[in-house]
Amino acid sequence: MQPASSLPLGQPRSAGSPSFVRAGFLGGNEFGLIVLIVVFATLFTLATKGFASPFNLFTLGRTMGIDILIGFSMMVVIVSGGLNLAVGAIGVCAVMAAGWAMETFGLPWPLGLAVCLLVGAALGAVNGEAIVRSGVHSFIITLATMSIFFGGMVFLSRAEAFRELPPAIAAFGKLRLMGFLSPLLLVAVATALVLGWLYRFTSLGRRMLAAGASPKAAEVSGIRVDRTIVGCHILSGVLAALAGAMLTARHGAAIPSMAGHLGQDWLLPAFLAPVLGGTLLTGGKVSVLGTLLGAMLVSMLTNGLLLLRVGEFWVQAFLGLLLLTAVLLDLGRRRLLARHRIAV
Amino acid sequence: MTKTAHAFRLLAAGLLLSAATTAAHAAEDTLVALVPAGPHPYFSAWEQAGKDAAKDFGLEGGDYRVPPKWELSQQNQLLESLVTQGYNGFLVFPGDPVGGNGVVSELVEQGAPVIAGGGCLKEPSDAAFCLGTDTGNSAYIGTQELIKRMGGKGKIAHFAGFLVDPNTQLRIDAVNKAAAETNGAVEVVQVIADIDAPEPAEEKINAYLAAHGNEVDGIVTTAWIPAVVSANALRKMGDKRIKMVGIDHDEVVLQAIKDGFVDGTMLQNPYGQGYIGTFALDRLRSGCTVKEDAPFASTALTDRFIDSGTTFVDASGVDNYVGAMQAITKEIMADFETNYLTCE
Repeated sequence: MQPASSLPLGQPRSAGSPSFVRAGFLGGNEFGLIVLIVVFATLFTLATKGFASPFNLFTLGRTMGIDILIGFSMMVVIVSGGLNLAVGAIGVCAVMAAGWAMETFGLPWPLGLAVCLLVGAALGAVNGEAIVRSGVHSFIITLATMSIFFGGMVFLSRAEAFRELPPAIAAFGKLRLMGFLSPLLLVAVATALVLGWLYRFTSLGRRMLAAGASPKAAEVSGIRVDRTIVGCHILSGVLAALAGAMLTARHGAAIPSMAGHLGQDWLLPAFLAPVLGGTLLTGGKVSVLGTLLGAMLVSMLTNGLLLLRVGEFWVQAFLGLLLLTAVLLDLGRRRLLARHRIAV
Repeated sequence: MTKTAHAFRLLAAGLLLSAATTAAHAAEDTLVALVPAGPHPYFSAWEQAGKDAAKDFGLEGGDYRVPPKWELSQQNQLLESLVTQGYNGFLVFPGDPVGGNGVVSELVEQGAPVIAGGGCLKEPSDAAFCLGTDTGNSAYIGTQELIKRMGGKGKIAHFAGFLVDPNTQLRIDAVNKAAAETNGAVEVVQVIADIDAPEPAEEKINAYLAAHGNEVDGIVTTAWIPAVVSANALRKMGDKRIKMVGIDHDEVVLQAIKDGFVDGTMLQNPYGQGYIGTFALDRLRSGCTVKEDAPFASTALTDRFIDSGTTFVDASGVDNYVGAMQAITKEIMADFETNYLTCE
C-alpha cells in the first residue's frame, strides 16, 4: 500500500478513480481504522450506560482534538525521517510564554495565540538548525532540547501557572456546539485539512516527503534538504504550540505541568497516532487522515475502557492489547484483499 | 492484613460511634470517588477511608479510583469518565493546583460537589474547600525539629518533591526560613528537588550522600519517596551522626526511627482526609452548604483551607502514630458540621 501523498514527485494522482478507492483506501490503514472506530463505538454504546451521552461525547471530542494535534506535531517530523522528542516541552514553553505575555501586557487572545505559535516555531527552528548544523540524529538533539527548553521554562516561571488569561480562552474550551461537539475537535479537523493540502498539493509538502524518502536523491534533484528539515521542525513546533494552546483552553490556564515532567506525557500519543495511521518511521510517507483516525481510535478506546470499569491500571494493558490486535487484524485484512487481487 | 491496614481499621472503629449519629441524614444515592493525581503510596489510605465512610454513613459507595499515571490529562479523563459513570461527589487531589480548576468547574456544573483533598486548588475555585496538610507549616516544623536535634547548628540537605508542584517551592521556602531563623548557625547547603519517584530519588540521593555525606549534619525530606530512600541510605551507611527528619508514615521510615537512623517524621493524615472528605461530600449533596463564616485557614493557594492535621513523631511516639492520626481525625469530625456547614 502506498498512500497517495507519498507518491514520487510529478507522478499523476489517481485520487477519486475506482482503482484509488480499491487500492489506496480499502487497502489502507485509514479504512481499517474507520472500521475499528465504528465497531468500538457501537460496542461501547451498547455496553456502557454513558458513552453516547452528550457530556461524554463532548469530553471525548475535546480529548481527541488535542491528541490529534499532538500526533500531527510528531507526524510532520517523522515525514522527514526524523523525530521530535521535545514536542511536549515546546508546547508547554509556547503556552507559558503566551500566558506570560497575556498576563503581563494584557494582550488579547489573538495576539497571545500569535505569540504562542511564534515561540513554537522559534523553538522548532532551534531544533532544526541544531540537527542540520551538527549532523547529529534528531533523536539525540531533541532529547537534549527537551530538557533545555523545559528546564529553562521552569527556571523562568518558577513553575507558577498563568491563569489571568482572557476569559474567551476558557470559554472556548468549555464551548459545546449542538450540546455535544467540542470546537477543539473542529480545530483539529481544520488542521488536518491544511496538512492534507500541504502534502498533496504544494511543492513544499512534496519536498518534505522527498527529503524523508531519500535525502540524497532529493539533494540531487535540487531540493535543499537541510532547509526542508528545518521547515519540518518549525511546522512541528507550531503544531505543538497549537496543541498547547488547545490544552490551555481546556484548563483555562497556562500551566507548566500540562504535559508532565519534561513534556514527556505527550510522547505516547505523539507516536501512536501517526504510526497507527500508516506514517512510516523511516520517513517519506505520510497519512494525515490515518493520523487523525489513529488519535481518534486511541482516545475512544481509553474513554470506553474507563467507562467499562476495567480498572484504571488495566486500561494501559488493554489499550496495548487492542492496538496490537488492531494492527494484526489490519495486516490480515490487507493480505486477504491482496490474495483476492483487490488491492495492490 | 498489613500493619497499616490494621491501623486504619482501628481508626475506623474509633470513628464509628460519632458516625452513627449522622448516618440517618445521609443521601443514600451518594456515590463518592476519591481520586488522587496518580499512583502514590500516600493516598493508599483513601481506599479504606472511602469504604469506611460509605459504610458508616450509609452511602451508595466511596470508591478510590486512581489514574494509571501521574498525568493531569489522565486524571482529567478519569474524572470526566467517572461523572458519566454516575459518581456524584468527588474528593480530588489536584494534578495541578491551577490546571485542576477547569475539570472541577465542569464536575460542579454537572451537580457533583468537589472537595480538594491532600492538596489545594488555587483560588478562585469551584471546590467547596480544601482539606489537606499545611505543607509549608509542616516543612517548617519538621526543619525546626531537625535543627533542635542538630544542636542548633550545622549544615542541612533538603530532598524535595516535583518542581512542577507549587507545594515544593512552599516547602523549600519554609525549610530555608527555619534555617534563616538561626542567624547563620544552620545553613541549607543543598536542595535536591524533582525526585518524588524511586529512580531519580535513588540515583540523586545516594550519589549526593556518597560524595558529600560527611559534609552535612542533617537531612530534611519533604516528599514520601525521598524520605524512604534517605532512610534506607542512612541505614546502609550505618550513619547515626547525620540527623534526619522525614515525612509521612512509610514502614521503612517508621522502622528507621525505631532503629535510630531517622530522628522523626512529619505525619500527615490521609485517612482523615478520605474519611472526613467523603462524609462532607455527602452532607453537601444532602442540602448542606458551606458556612460563609466558617473558621477556614488561609494558605498560599486558598482561603478556604481546613488543616487535616500534621504532627511530628519521634522514637517515643512512633508506636502510637495511629493514635496521633486518630486523635486529629476525631477532633476535626467532632464539630465539623457545626463549624463548616449549614444544614437545614
